[in-house]
Amino acid sequence: MQEIIIGIGVTALAGALAAVAGAAEDTESNIGSQGDPNSQVQLAPQMGYTHRIYNKAVSGEPPAYTLWVTLACGVAWAFLMLGVNAILAIIFGTVLATFVQGVYATTAYLGRTASLSKFGQPVFIDVVKSVTTVTMAHAFVAIFATVTVCYLMMTVIGHPFALPLLGIVWGLALGAAGSATGNPYYGKERQYQNQKFGAGVPISASGNIVRYAEAGQRSSIDNGFFTAKFGGPASGICFGLIVFFELWRTIIFEDFLAGWGAVIVGALIIVVFMIIDRYVEVWARKNYGPYTVEA
Amino acid sequence: MSAIAAKPGANAGSFQPIPSVIAIVIAIILVVVAYFLGSSGILAGGAQFVLQTFCLIILGAALIAFGVHFVPVGGAPAAMGQAPGIATGVAMLATGAGLAGLFGGAWAAELGLGVALASGAIGGALMMAITCLMVNISYVFGMGIPAASGKVLKDPITGDLQAAYKSQGTEGHGLPFISYVGGVIGGLFGGLGGTLIYIQLLDFYNVGLPALGFVGAADINMLSVGLAGIFAIGMFLVIAVLSAYNITGTIEGPHDPKFKRFPRAIVAAILASAVCGLVAMLVVALF
Repeated sequence: MQEIIIGIGVTALAGALAAVAGAAEDTESNIGSQGDPNSQVQLAPQMGYTHRIYNKAVSGEPPAYTLWVTLACGVAWAFLMLGVNAILAIIFGTVLATFVQGVYATTAYLGRTASLSKFGQPVFIDVVKSVTTVTMAHAFVAIFATVTVCYLMMTVIGHPFALPLLGIVWGLALGAAGSATGNPYYGKERQYQNQKFGAGVPISASGNIVRYAEAGQRSSIDNGFFTAKFGGPASGICFGLIVFFELWRTIIFEDFLAGWGAVIVGALIIVVFMIIDRYVEVWARKNYGPYTVEA
Repeated sequence: MSAIAAKPGANAGSFQPIPSVIAIVIAIILVVVAYFLGSSGILAGGAQFVLQTFCLIILGAALIAFGVHFVPVGGAPAAMGQAPGIATGVAMLATGAGLAGLFGGAWAAELGLGVALASGAIGGALMMAITCLMVNISYVFGMGIPAASGKVLKDPITGDLQAAYKSQGTEGHGLPFISYVGGVIGGLFGGLGGTLIYIQLLDFYNVGLPALGFVGAADINMLSVGLAGIFAIGMFLVIAVLSAYNITGTIEGPHDPKFKRFPRAIVAAILASAVCGLVAMLVVALF
Protein backbone atom coordinates (compact mmCIF):
# COMPACT_ATOMS: atom_id res chain seq x y z
CA MET A 1 0.00 0.00 0.00
CA GLN A 2 2.80 2.38 0.96
CA GLU A 3 4.47 1.73 -2.39
CA ILE A 4 1.28 2.63 -4.24
CA ILE A 5 0.84 5.86 -2.23
CA ILE A 6 4.45 6.87 -2.93
CA GLY A 7 3.90 5.91 -6.57
CA ILE A 8 0.80 8.15 -6.80
CA GLY A 9 2.71 11.05 -5.23
CA VAL A 10 5.65 10.61 -7.60
CA THR A 11 3.27 10.30 -10.56
CA ALA A 12 1.63 13.59 -9.63
CA LEU A 13 5.02 15.26 -9.14
CA ALA A 14 6.33 13.88 -12.44
CA GLY A 15 3.19 15.06 -14.23
CA ALA A 16 3.54 18.55 -12.75
CA LEU A 17 7.24 18.73 -13.63
CA ALA A 18 6.45 17.55 -17.16
CA ALA A 19 3.84 20.31 -17.49
CA VAL A 20 6.47 22.89 -16.51
CA ALA A 21 8.94 21.29 -18.94
CA GLY A 22 6.44 21.37 -21.81
CA ALA A 23 5.54 25.02 -21.23
CA ALA A 24 9.20 26.07 -20.99
CA GLU A 25 10.12 24.00 -24.04
CA ASP A 26 7.49 25.60 -26.25
CA THR A 27 8.30 29.12 -25.07
CA GLU A 28 12.02 28.48 -25.62
CA SER A 29 11.43 27.16 -29.13
CA ASN A 30 9.17 30.11 -29.99
CA ILE A 31 11.64 32.72 -28.72
CA GLY A 32 14.41 30.97 -30.65
CA SER A 33 12.03 30.22 -33.54
CA GLN A 34 13.04 26.57 -33.74
CA GLY A 35 9.77 24.91 -34.71
CA ASP A 36 8.26 24.36 -38.14
CA PRO A 37 7.04 28.01 -38.43
CA ASN A 38 10.70 28.97 -38.75
CA SER A 39 10.36 28.12 -42.44
CA GLN A 40 8.59 31.51 -42.70
CA VAL A 41 11.34 33.31 -40.79
CA GLN A 42 13.84 31.83 -43.22
CA LEU A 43 11.61 32.58 -46.21
CA ALA A 44 10.73 36.20 -45.32
CA PRO A 45 14.01 37.88 -46.45
CA GLN A 46 13.82 35.93 -49.71
CA MET A 47 10.40 37.56 -50.31
CA GLY A 48 11.82 41.01 -49.50
CA TYR A 49 10.86 41.19 -45.81
CA THR A 50 13.98 41.65 -43.65
CA HIS A 51 13.39 41.18 -39.92
CA ARG A 52 14.91 40.90 -36.43
CA ILE A 53 13.44 37.49 -35.55
CA TYR A 54 15.81 34.93 -34.03
CA ASN A 55 16.43 31.91 -36.24
CA LYS A 56 18.01 28.76 -34.81
CA ALA A 57 16.19 25.89 -36.50
CA VAL A 58 19.07 23.81 -37.81
CA SER A 59 17.23 20.79 -36.41
CA GLY A 60 13.68 20.09 -35.26
CA GLU A 61 12.73 20.41 -31.60
CA PRO A 62 12.52 16.65 -30.88
CA PRO A 63 16.12 15.77 -31.90
CA ALA A 64 17.47 18.96 -30.31
CA TYR A 65 15.76 18.23 -26.99
CA THR A 66 16.79 14.59 -27.21
CA LEU A 67 20.40 15.78 -27.38
CA TRP A 68 20.13 18.27 -24.54
CA VAL A 69 18.10 16.11 -22.16
CA THR A 70 20.22 13.01 -22.85
CA LEU A 71 23.39 15.03 -22.34
CA ALA A 72 22.09 16.34 -19.02
CA CYS A 73 20.96 12.84 -18.00
CA GLY A 74 24.35 11.34 -18.95
CA VAL A 75 26.33 13.91 -16.97
CA ALA A 76 23.94 13.66 -14.01
CA TRP A 77 24.23 9.87 -14.08
CA ALA A 78 28.04 10.07 -14.09
CA PHE A 79 27.95 12.38 -11.04
CA LEU A 80 25.43 10.09 -9.32
CA MET A 81 27.80 7.15 -9.85
CA LEU A 82 30.50 9.25 -8.16
CA GLY A 83 28.21 9.62 -5.14
CA VAL A 84 27.27 13.27 -5.70
CA ASN A 85 23.97 14.46 -4.23
CA ALA A 86 21.13 13.84 -6.72
CA ILE A 87 19.90 17.45 -6.95
CA LEU A 88 23.45 18.74 -7.47
CA ALA A 89 24.12 16.05 -10.07
CA ILE A 90 20.97 16.99 -12.01
CA ILE A 91 21.91 20.70 -11.83
CA PHE A 92 25.46 19.99 -13.07
CA GLY A 93 24.09 17.99 -16.00
CA THR A 94 21.49 20.64 -16.82
CA VAL A 95 24.01 23.49 -16.69
CA LEU A 96 26.30 21.69 -19.14
CA ALA A 97 23.40 20.87 -21.47
CA THR A 98 22.24 24.51 -21.29
CA PHE A 99 25.70 25.72 -22.35
CA VAL A 100 25.59 23.30 -25.28
CA GLN A 101 22.15 24.72 -26.13
CA GLY A 102 23.63 28.24 -25.99
CA VAL A 103 26.46 27.32 -28.35
CA TYR A 104 23.96 25.59 -30.65
CA ALA A 105 21.65 28.63 -30.63
CA THR A 106 24.44 31.12 -31.34
CA THR A 107 26.02 29.17 -34.18
CA ALA A 108 22.61 28.30 -35.61
CA TYR A 109 21.49 31.95 -35.61
CA LEU A 110 24.74 33.19 -37.15
CA GLY A 111 24.82 30.41 -39.75
CA ARG A 112 21.21 30.55 -40.82
CA THR A 113 21.03 34.34 -40.90
CA ALA A 114 24.39 34.75 -42.68
CA SER A 115 23.11 32.40 -45.39
CA LEU A 116 20.44 35.04 -46.16
CA SER A 117 22.95 37.85 -46.75
CA LYS A 118 22.36 37.74 -50.52
CA PHE A 119 18.75 38.80 -49.79
CA GLY A 120 19.90 41.79 -47.70
CA GLN A 121 19.19 40.22 -44.30
CA PRO A 122 21.72 41.55 -41.72
CA VAL A 123 23.09 39.59 -38.74
CA PHE A 124 22.15 41.60 -35.62
CA ILE A 125 24.71 41.14 -32.86
CA ASP A 126 22.40 42.76 -30.28
CA VAL A 127 19.78 40.11 -31.14
CA VAL A 128 22.35 37.37 -30.43
CA LYS A 129 23.24 39.03 -27.11
CA SER A 130 19.71 39.65 -25.90
CA VAL A 131 17.79 36.61 -27.16
CA THR A 132 20.32 33.78 -26.73
CA THR A 133 20.44 34.12 -22.95
CA VAL A 134 16.64 34.16 -22.75
CA THR A 135 16.36 30.91 -24.74
CA MET A 136 19.08 29.41 -22.52
CA ALA A 137 17.11 30.31 -19.39
CA HIS A 138 13.96 28.65 -20.74
CA ALA A 139 15.97 25.65 -21.93
CA PHE A 140 17.42 25.27 -18.42
CA VAL A 141 13.93 25.04 -16.93
CA ALA A 142 12.75 22.55 -19.59
CA ILE A 143 15.84 20.33 -19.31
CA PHE A 144 15.99 20.42 -15.50
CA ALA A 145 12.33 19.45 -15.15
CA THR A 146 12.63 16.62 -17.71
CA VAL A 147 15.82 15.20 -16.18
CA THR A 148 14.13 15.26 -12.77
CA VAL A 149 11.17 13.35 -14.23
CA CYS A 150 13.60 10.78 -15.65
CA TYR A 151 15.41 10.54 -12.32
CA LEU A 152 12.13 9.89 -10.48
CA MET A 153 11.23 7.21 -13.05
CA MET A 154 14.59 5.49 -12.60
CA THR A 155 14.90 5.62 -8.80
CA VAL A 156 11.48 5.81 -7.13
CA ILE A 157 9.33 4.11 -9.77
CA GLY A 158 12.03 1.61 -10.76
CA HIS A 159 11.95 1.67 -14.57
CA PRO A 160 14.60 -0.70 -15.96
CA PHE A 161 16.13 1.92 -18.34
CA ALA A 162 19.21 3.82 -17.18
CA LEU A 163 18.98 7.61 -16.84
CA PRO A 164 20.53 8.47 -20.26
CA LEU A 165 18.17 6.05 -22.04
CA LEU A 166 15.19 7.61 -20.28
CA GLY A 167 16.62 10.96 -21.40
CA ILE A 168 16.43 9.85 -25.05
CA VAL A 169 12.83 8.65 -24.67
CA TRP A 170 11.45 11.65 -22.78
CA GLY A 171 13.61 14.29 -24.47
CA LEU A 172 12.18 13.17 -27.80
CA ALA A 173 8.64 12.96 -26.45
CA LEU A 174 9.01 16.45 -24.94
CA GLY A 175 10.11 17.91 -28.27
CA ALA A 176 7.39 16.02 -30.17
CA ALA A 177 4.59 17.11 -27.80
CA GLY A 178 5.82 20.70 -27.63
CA SER A 179 6.24 21.14 -31.36
CA ALA A 180 2.95 19.41 -32.20
CA THR A 181 0.86 21.54 -29.83
CA GLY A 182 2.75 24.83 -29.75
CA ASN A 183 3.88 25.25 -33.36
CA PRO A 184 0.51 26.20 -34.92
CA TYR A 185 -0.09 28.87 -32.30
CA TYR A 186 3.30 30.48 -32.95
CA GLY A 187 3.12 29.98 -36.71
CA LYS A 188 -0.43 31.05 -37.44
CA GLU A 189 -1.41 33.23 -34.50
CA ARG A 190 1.80 35.16 -33.85
CA GLN A 191 3.79 35.26 -37.08
CA TYR A 192 0.67 36.02 -39.10
CA GLN A 193 -1.23 38.41 -36.83
CA ASN A 194 -1.82 40.49 -39.95
CA GLN A 195 -4.07 37.71 -41.35
CA LYS A 196 -7.71 37.03 -40.48
CA PHE A 197 -8.45 35.39 -37.13
CA GLY A 198 -10.29 32.09 -37.38
CA ALA A 199 -8.85 30.98 -40.71
CA GLY A 200 -5.65 29.35 -41.94
CA VAL A 201 -2.94 31.46 -43.56
CA PRO A 202 -3.48 31.51 -47.34
CA ILE A 203 -0.52 29.94 -49.12
CA SER A 204 -0.13 33.17 -51.13
CA ALA A 205 0.74 35.07 -47.91
CA SER A 206 3.77 32.85 -47.17
CA GLY A 207 6.79 34.82 -46.03
CA ASN A 208 4.87 38.01 -45.16
CA ILE A 209 5.38 37.64 -41.41
CA VAL A 210 4.64 40.45 -38.95
CA ARG A 211 7.89 42.33 -38.41
CA TYR A 212 6.84 45.47 -36.52
CA ALA A 213 5.65 45.92 -32.93
CA GLU A 214 3.87 48.82 -31.19
CA ALA A 215 7.17 50.68 -31.20
CA GLY A 216 9.97 49.70 -33.57
CA GLN A 217 10.71 46.25 -34.90
CA ARG A 218 9.29 43.11 -33.31
CA SER A 219 11.63 41.17 -31.03
CA SER A 220 11.68 37.40 -30.65
CA ILE A 221 11.34 37.84 -26.89
CA ASP A 222 7.88 39.36 -27.54
CA ASN A 223 7.01 36.13 -29.37
CA GLY A 224 7.73 34.18 -26.17
CA PHE A 225 5.62 36.67 -24.19
CA PHE A 226 2.71 36.13 -26.59
CA THR A 227 2.83 32.34 -26.95
CA ALA A 228 3.37 31.82 -23.21
CA LYS A 229 -0.32 32.75 -22.84
CA PHE A 230 -1.66 29.78 -24.81
CA GLY A 231 0.85 27.71 -26.81
CA GLY A 232 3.20 27.20 -23.86
CA PRO A 233 0.58 26.09 -21.32
CA ALA A 234 -1.14 23.90 -23.94
CA SER A 235 2.17 22.17 -24.69
CA GLY A 236 2.75 21.82 -20.94
CA ILE A 237 -0.65 20.20 -20.44
CA CYS A 238 0.05 17.89 -23.40
CA PHE A 239 3.41 16.64 -22.11
CA GLY A 240 2.18 16.61 -18.50
CA LEU A 241 -0.82 14.45 -19.42
CA ILE A 242 1.38 12.04 -21.41
CA VAL A 243 3.80 11.52 -18.51
CA PHE A 244 1.03 11.41 -15.88
CA PHE A 245 -1.22 8.89 -17.60
CA GLU A 246 1.71 6.71 -18.72
CA LEU A 247 2.85 6.37 -15.10
CA TRP A 248 -0.57 6.42 -13.43
CA ARG A 249 -2.12 3.58 -15.43
CA THR A 250 0.91 1.37 -14.78
CA ILE A 251 1.46 2.13 -11.08
CA ILE A 252 -2.18 1.74 -10.04
CA PHE A 253 -3.43 -1.00 -12.37
CA GLU A 254 -0.41 -3.17 -13.20
CA ASP A 255 -1.23 -5.61 -10.38
CA PHE A 256 -4.70 -6.32 -11.77
CA LEU A 257 -5.22 -9.25 -14.19
CA ALA A 258 -1.48 -10.07 -14.29
CA GLY A 259 -0.54 -6.80 -15.92
CA TRP A 260 -3.49 -6.56 -18.33
CA GLY A 261 -5.20 -4.09 -15.98
CA ALA A 262 -2.84 -1.29 -17.03
CA VAL A 263 -3.42 -2.15 -20.70
CA ILE A 264 -7.22 -2.09 -20.37
CA VAL A 265 -7.18 1.19 -18.42
CA GLY A 266 -4.83 2.68 -21.03
CA ALA A 267 -7.26 1.67 -23.79
CA LEU A 268 -10.17 3.21 -21.85
CA ILE A 269 -8.26 6.48 -21.40
CA ILE A 270 -7.63 6.55 -25.17
CA VAL A 271 -11.37 6.11 -25.82
CA VAL A 272 -12.16 8.96 -23.41
CA PHE A 273 -9.68 11.26 -25.18
CA MET A 274 -11.17 10.20 -28.51
CA ILE A 275 -14.68 11.18 -27.34
CA ILE A 276 -13.38 14.56 -26.07
CA ASP A 277 -11.68 15.15 -29.42
CA ARG A 278 -14.86 14.38 -31.34
CA TYR A 279 -16.82 16.72 -29.05
CA VAL A 280 -14.28 19.53 -29.67
CA GLU A 281 -14.44 18.93 -33.44
CA VAL A 282 -18.26 19.01 -33.52
CA TRP A 283 -18.35 22.05 -31.19
CA ALA A 284 -16.06 23.96 -33.57
CA ARG A 285 -18.11 23.02 -36.63
CA LYS A 286 -21.36 24.11 -34.93
CA ASN A 287 -20.09 27.34 -33.40
CA TYR A 288 -17.79 28.60 -36.14
CA GLY A 289 -19.80 27.27 -39.05
CA PRO A 290 -18.60 26.61 -42.59
CA TYR A 291 -16.55 29.18 -44.55
CA THR A 292 -18.65 28.58 -47.65
CA VAL A 293 -22.08 27.06 -48.24
CA GLU A 294 -22.05 23.30 -47.75
CA ALA A 295 -22.42 21.34 -50.98
CA MET B 1 18.51 13.79 -67.79
CA SER B 2 17.82 17.32 -66.58
CA ALA B 3 16.56 18.07 -63.09
CA ILE B 4 13.17 19.01 -64.47
CA ALA B 5 12.87 15.78 -66.41
CA ALA B 6 13.85 13.83 -63.29
CA LYS B 7 10.93 15.23 -61.27
CA PRO B 8 8.55 12.54 -60.06
CA GLY B 9 5.55 12.00 -62.27
CA ALA B 10 2.07 10.76 -61.56
CA ASN B 11 3.31 7.33 -60.46
CA ALA B 12 5.59 8.73 -57.73
CA GLY B 13 5.56 6.41 -54.77
CA SER B 14 4.21 3.45 -56.70
CA PHE B 15 5.43 -0.03 -55.89
CA GLN B 16 8.55 -0.92 -57.86
CA PRO B 17 8.77 -4.71 -58.32
CA ILE B 18 12.41 -5.15 -59.36
CA PRO B 19 14.10 -3.17 -56.53
CA SER B 20 11.62 -4.72 -54.10
CA VAL B 21 12.50 -8.26 -55.19
CA ILE B 22 16.21 -7.43 -54.91
CA ALA B 23 15.63 -6.05 -51.37
CA ILE B 24 13.66 -9.14 -50.31
CA VAL B 25 16.32 -11.46 -51.75
CA ILE B 26 19.10 -9.65 -49.82
CA ALA B 27 16.98 -9.81 -46.66
CA ILE B 28 16.46 -13.58 -47.16
CA ILE B 29 20.22 -14.02 -47.62
CA LEU B 30 20.76 -12.19 -44.31
CA VAL B 31 18.20 -14.48 -42.63
CA VAL B 32 20.14 -17.49 -43.93
CA VAL B 33 23.38 -15.91 -42.63
CA ALA B 34 21.76 -15.46 -39.20
CA TYR B 35 20.64 -19.11 -39.22
CA PHE B 36 24.17 -20.20 -40.15
CA LEU B 37 25.68 -18.05 -37.35
CA GLY B 38 23.26 -19.67 -34.90
CA SER B 39 23.84 -23.24 -36.04
CA SER B 40 27.63 -22.81 -36.04
CA GLY B 41 27.57 -21.49 -32.45
CA ILE B 42 28.89 -18.02 -33.28
CA LEU B 43 25.63 -16.59 -31.94
CA ALA B 44 24.55 -18.22 -28.67
CA GLY B 45 21.19 -19.93 -28.14
CA GLY B 46 21.00 -22.28 -31.12
CA ALA B 47 19.88 -21.88 -34.73
CA GLN B 48 16.13 -21.90 -33.97
CA PHE B 49 16.44 -19.22 -31.27
CA VAL B 50 18.61 -16.97 -33.44
CA LEU B 51 16.29 -17.38 -36.43
CA GLN B 52 13.20 -16.63 -34.33
CA THR B 53 14.79 -13.52 -32.79
CA PHE B 54 15.96 -12.25 -36.17
CA CYS B 55 12.59 -12.79 -37.88
CA LEU B 56 10.66 -11.12 -35.04
CA ILE B 57 13.00 -8.09 -35.19
CA ILE B 58 12.18 -7.80 -38.90
CA LEU B 59 8.45 -8.17 -38.12
CA GLY B 60 8.74 -5.38 -35.52
CA ALA B 61 10.38 -3.11 -38.08
CA ALA B 62 7.65 -3.85 -40.64
CA LEU B 63 5.00 -2.94 -38.04
CA ILE B 64 6.76 0.37 -37.36
CA ALA B 65 7.00 1.19 -41.08
CA PHE B 66 3.29 0.40 -41.51
CA GLY B 67 2.37 2.45 -38.43
CA VAL B 68 4.28 5.55 -39.48
CA HIS B 69 1.97 5.90 -42.51
CA PHE B 70 -1.07 6.31 -40.24
CA VAL B 71 0.35 9.31 -38.35
CA PRO B 72 -1.12 12.58 -39.69
CA VAL B 73 1.80 14.93 -40.20
CA GLY B 74 1.49 18.38 -41.72
CA GLY B 75 4.99 19.76 -41.18
CA ALA B 76 5.56 23.49 -41.75
CA PRO B 77 2.29 24.13 -43.69
CA ALA B 78 0.29 22.76 -40.73
CA ALA B 79 2.04 25.24 -38.45
CA MET B 80 0.43 28.09 -40.43
CA GLY B 81 -2.94 26.37 -40.72
CA GLN B 82 -2.31 25.77 -44.43
CA ALA B 83 -2.58 21.97 -44.36
CA PRO B 84 -4.13 19.37 -42.06
CA GLY B 85 -2.01 17.28 -39.71
CA ILE B 86 0.32 17.76 -36.80
CA ALA B 87 2.84 20.58 -37.24
CA THR B 88 6.04 18.58 -36.94
CA GLY B 89 8.16 16.08 -38.86
CA VAL B 90 7.00 12.53 -39.68
CA ALA B 91 10.05 10.78 -38.24
CA MET B 92 10.08 12.88 -35.09
CA LEU B 93 6.45 12.40 -34.18
CA ALA B 94 6.36 8.71 -35.03
CA THR B 95 9.54 8.13 -33.05
CA GLY B 96 8.20 10.12 -30.11
CA ALA B 97 5.09 7.94 -30.00
CA GLY B 98 7.05 4.73 -30.56
CA LEU B 99 9.53 5.50 -27.80
CA ALA B 100 6.73 6.39 -25.38
CA GLY B 101 5.37 2.93 -26.21
CA LEU B 102 8.80 1.37 -25.77
CA PHE B 103 8.97 2.98 -22.31
CA GLY B 104 5.73 1.21 -21.32
CA GLY B 105 6.71 -2.06 -23.01
CA ALA B 106 10.14 -2.19 -21.35
CA TRP B 107 8.52 -1.50 -17.99
CA ALA B 108 6.15 -4.43 -18.44
CA ALA B 109 8.80 -6.77 -19.93
CA GLU B 110 8.95 -8.95 -16.80
CA LEU B 111 5.20 -9.65 -17.00
CA GLY B 112 5.49 -11.68 -20.19
CA LEU B 113 5.60 -11.06 -23.94
CA GLY B 114 1.86 -10.51 -24.40
CA VAL B 115 1.47 -7.90 -21.66
CA ALA B 116 4.69 -6.13 -22.69
CA LEU B 117 3.61 -5.89 -26.34
CA ALA B 118 0.12 -4.69 -25.43
CA SER B 119 1.54 -2.21 -22.93
CA GLY B 120 3.96 -0.86 -25.55
CA ALA B 121 1.19 -0.52 -28.13
CA ILE B 122 -1.15 1.24 -25.70
CA GLY B 123 1.70 3.52 -24.52
CA GLY B 124 2.33 4.72 -28.08
CA ALA B 125 -1.38 5.11 -28.79
CA LEU B 126 -1.95 7.04 -25.55
CA MET B 127 0.84 9.48 -26.42
CA MET B 128 -0.72 10.10 -29.83
CA ALA B 129 -4.28 10.33 -28.42
CA ILE B 130 -3.22 13.12 -26.03
CA THR B 131 -1.04 14.93 -28.59
CA CYS B 132 -3.72 14.84 -31.30
CA LEU B 133 -6.36 16.11 -28.85
CA MET B 134 -4.14 19.02 -27.81
CA VAL B 135 -3.49 19.84 -31.48
CA ASN B 136 -7.23 20.18 -32.10
CA ILE B 137 -7.72 22.16 -28.87
CA SER B 138 -4.95 24.50 -30.01
CA TYR B 139 -6.60 25.01 -33.42
CA VAL B 140 -10.17 25.33 -32.12
CA PHE B 141 -9.75 27.32 -28.90
CA GLY B 142 -6.48 29.12 -29.62
CA MET B 143 -6.97 30.05 -33.25
CA GLY B 144 -10.72 29.65 -33.87
CA ILE B 145 -10.21 27.23 -36.77
CA PRO B 146 -12.33 24.06 -37.26
CA ALA B 147 -10.73 20.84 -38.53
CA ALA B 148 -11.01 20.14 -42.26
CA SER B 149 -9.38 17.64 -44.60
CA GLY B 150 -8.04 18.68 -47.98
CA LYS B 151 -7.88 15.17 -49.44
CA VAL B 152 -11.43 13.81 -49.07
CA LEU B 153 -14.91 15.28 -49.47
CA LYS B 154 -16.30 13.41 -46.47
CA ASP B 155 -14.66 12.09 -43.33
CA PRO B 156 -14.68 8.30 -43.89
CA ILE B 157 -15.64 7.62 -40.24
CA THR B 158 -18.06 10.40 -39.31
CA GLY B 159 -19.31 11.30 -42.78
CA ASP B 160 -18.78 15.03 -42.07
CA LEU B 161 -18.44 17.19 -45.18
CA GLN B 162 -14.97 18.74 -45.36
CA ALA B 163 -14.73 21.22 -48.26
CA ALA B 164 -16.95 23.93 -46.73
CA TYR B 165 -14.88 24.04 -43.54
CA LYS B 166 -11.63 24.65 -45.40
CA SER B 167 -10.60 28.31 -45.21
CA GLN B 168 -9.74 30.14 -48.41
CA GLY B 169 -6.30 29.54 -49.92
CA THR B 170 -5.48 26.54 -47.74
CA GLU B 171 -5.52 22.76 -48.14
CA GLY B 172 -7.37 22.29 -44.84
CA HIS B 173 -6.28 22.45 -41.21
CA GLY B 174 -6.43 20.69 -37.85
CA LEU B 175 -7.16 17.02 -37.39
CA PRO B 176 -10.48 15.67 -38.74
CA PHE B 177 -11.63 12.57 -36.84
CA ILE B 178 -10.16 10.14 -39.39
CA SER B 179 -6.73 11.77 -38.90
CA TYR B 180 -7.12 11.53 -35.12
CA VAL B 181 -7.92 7.83 -35.34
CA GLY B 182 -5.01 7.40 -37.77
CA GLY B 183 -2.66 9.00 -35.26
CA VAL B 184 -3.79 6.64 -32.51
CA ILE B 185 -3.41 3.59 -34.79
CA GLY B 186 0.05 4.82 -35.84
CA GLY B 187 1.12 5.11 -32.20
CA LEU B 188 -0.32 1.64 -31.56
CA PHE B 189 1.73 0.00 -34.33
CA GLY B 190 4.83 2.04 -33.49
CA GLY B 191 4.75 1.09 -29.82
CA LEU B 192 4.03 -2.55 -30.70
CA GLY B 193 6.88 -2.82 -33.22
CA GLY B 194 9.40 -1.00 -31.04
CA THR B 195 8.59 -3.15 -28.02
CA LEU B 196 8.79 -6.35 -30.08
CA ILE B 197 12.31 -5.43 -31.22
CA TYR B 198 13.32 -4.49 -27.67
CA ILE B 199 11.99 -7.71 -26.07
CA GLN B 200 13.63 -9.91 -28.72
CA LEU B 201 16.99 -8.19 -28.30
CA LEU B 202 16.68 -8.28 -24.50
CA ASP B 203 16.10 -12.06 -24.49
CA PHE B 204 18.90 -12.53 -27.00
CA TYR B 205 21.43 -10.54 -24.95
CA ASN B 206 20.37 -12.33 -21.75
CA VAL B 207 21.44 -15.57 -23.48
CA GLY B 208 24.43 -14.15 -25.35
CA LEU B 209 26.17 -12.22 -22.58
CA PRO B 210 26.66 -15.20 -20.19
CA ALA B 211 28.03 -17.19 -23.15
CA LEU B 212 30.60 -14.41 -23.64
CA GLY B 213 31.76 -14.90 -20.05
CA PHE B 214 29.81 -12.19 -18.25
CA VAL B 215 28.79 -13.19 -14.71
CA GLY B 216 26.24 -11.87 -12.20
CA ALA B 217 22.55 -11.91 -13.13
CA ALA B 218 21.93 -8.28 -12.08
CA ASP B 219 24.90 -6.93 -14.06
CA ILE B 220 24.00 -8.99 -17.13
CA ASN B 221 20.41 -7.78 -16.98
CA MET B 222 21.49 -4.13 -16.66
CA LEU B 223 23.80 -4.49 -19.65
CA SER B 224 21.13 -6.33 -21.67
CA VAL B 225 18.52 -3.66 -20.95
CA GLY B 226 20.96 -0.92 -21.98
CA LEU B 227 22.06 -2.63 -25.19
CA ALA B 228 18.53 -3.68 -26.18
CA GLY B 229 17.19 -0.20 -25.42
CA ILE B 230 19.87 1.56 -27.47
CA PHE B 231 19.49 -0.76 -30.47
CA ALA B 232 15.68 -0.67 -30.33
CA ILE B 233 15.69 3.15 -30.29
CA GLY B 234 18.30 3.24 -33.08
CA MET B 235 16.35 0.82 -35.26
CA PHE B 236 13.16 2.76 -34.61
CA LEU B 237 14.83 5.92 -35.88
CA VAL B 238 16.14 4.13 -39.00
CA ILE B 239 12.69 2.77 -39.90
CA ALA B 240 10.87 6.02 -39.09
CA VAL B 241 13.24 8.05 -41.28
CA LEU B 242 12.97 5.52 -44.14
CA SER B 243 9.18 5.72 -43.95
CA ALA B 244 9.32 9.52 -43.79
CA TYR B 245 11.19 9.52 -47.12
CA ASN B 246 8.42 7.36 -48.55
CA ILE B 247 5.80 9.84 -47.33
CA THR B 248 7.78 12.87 -48.60
CA GLY B 249 6.81 15.54 -46.10
CA THR B 250 3.14 15.47 -45.24
CA ILE B 251 0.34 12.92 -44.94
CA GLU B 252 -3.19 13.28 -43.57
CA GLY B 253 -3.62 9.72 -42.35
CA PRO B 254 -5.09 6.46 -43.68
CA HIS B 255 -7.44 8.31 -46.09
CA ASP B 256 -4.56 10.15 -47.78
CA PRO B 257 -3.62 8.75 -51.24
CA LYS B 258 0.01 8.63 -50.03
CA PHE B 259 -1.02 5.95 -47.51
CA LYS B 260 -1.08 3.44 -50.39
CA ARG B 261 2.70 3.76 -50.60
CA PHE B 262 3.19 1.72 -47.42
CA PRO B 263 4.17 -1.60 -49.12
CA ARG B 264 7.30 0.10 -50.44
CA ALA B 265 8.26 1.30 -46.95
CA ILE B 266 7.65 -2.17 -45.51
CA VAL B 267 10.02 -3.74 -48.06
CA ALA B 268 12.67 -1.10 -47.28
CA ALA B 269 12.13 -1.63 -43.55
CA ILE B 270 12.55 -5.41 -43.92
CA LEU B 271 15.93 -4.94 -45.58
CA ALA B 272 17.13 -2.14 -43.27
CA SER B 273 16.07 -4.01 -40.14
CA ALA B 274 17.74 -7.20 -41.42
CA VAL B 275 21.06 -5.32 -41.69
CA CYS B 276 20.61 -3.44 -38.39
CA GLY B 277 19.31 -6.55 -36.61
CA LEU B 278 22.30 -8.62 -37.69
CA VAL B 279 24.69 -5.90 -36.47
CA ALA B 280 22.81 -5.70 -33.16
CA MET B 281 23.06 -9.48 -32.72
CA LEU B 282 26.73 -9.66 -33.71
CA VAL B 283 27.54 -7.47 -30.68
CA VAL B 284 27.51 -10.65 -28.60
CA ALA B 285 29.04 -12.96 -31.24
CA LEU B 286 31.56 -15.59 -30.12
CA PHE B 287 34.30 -15.04 -32.70
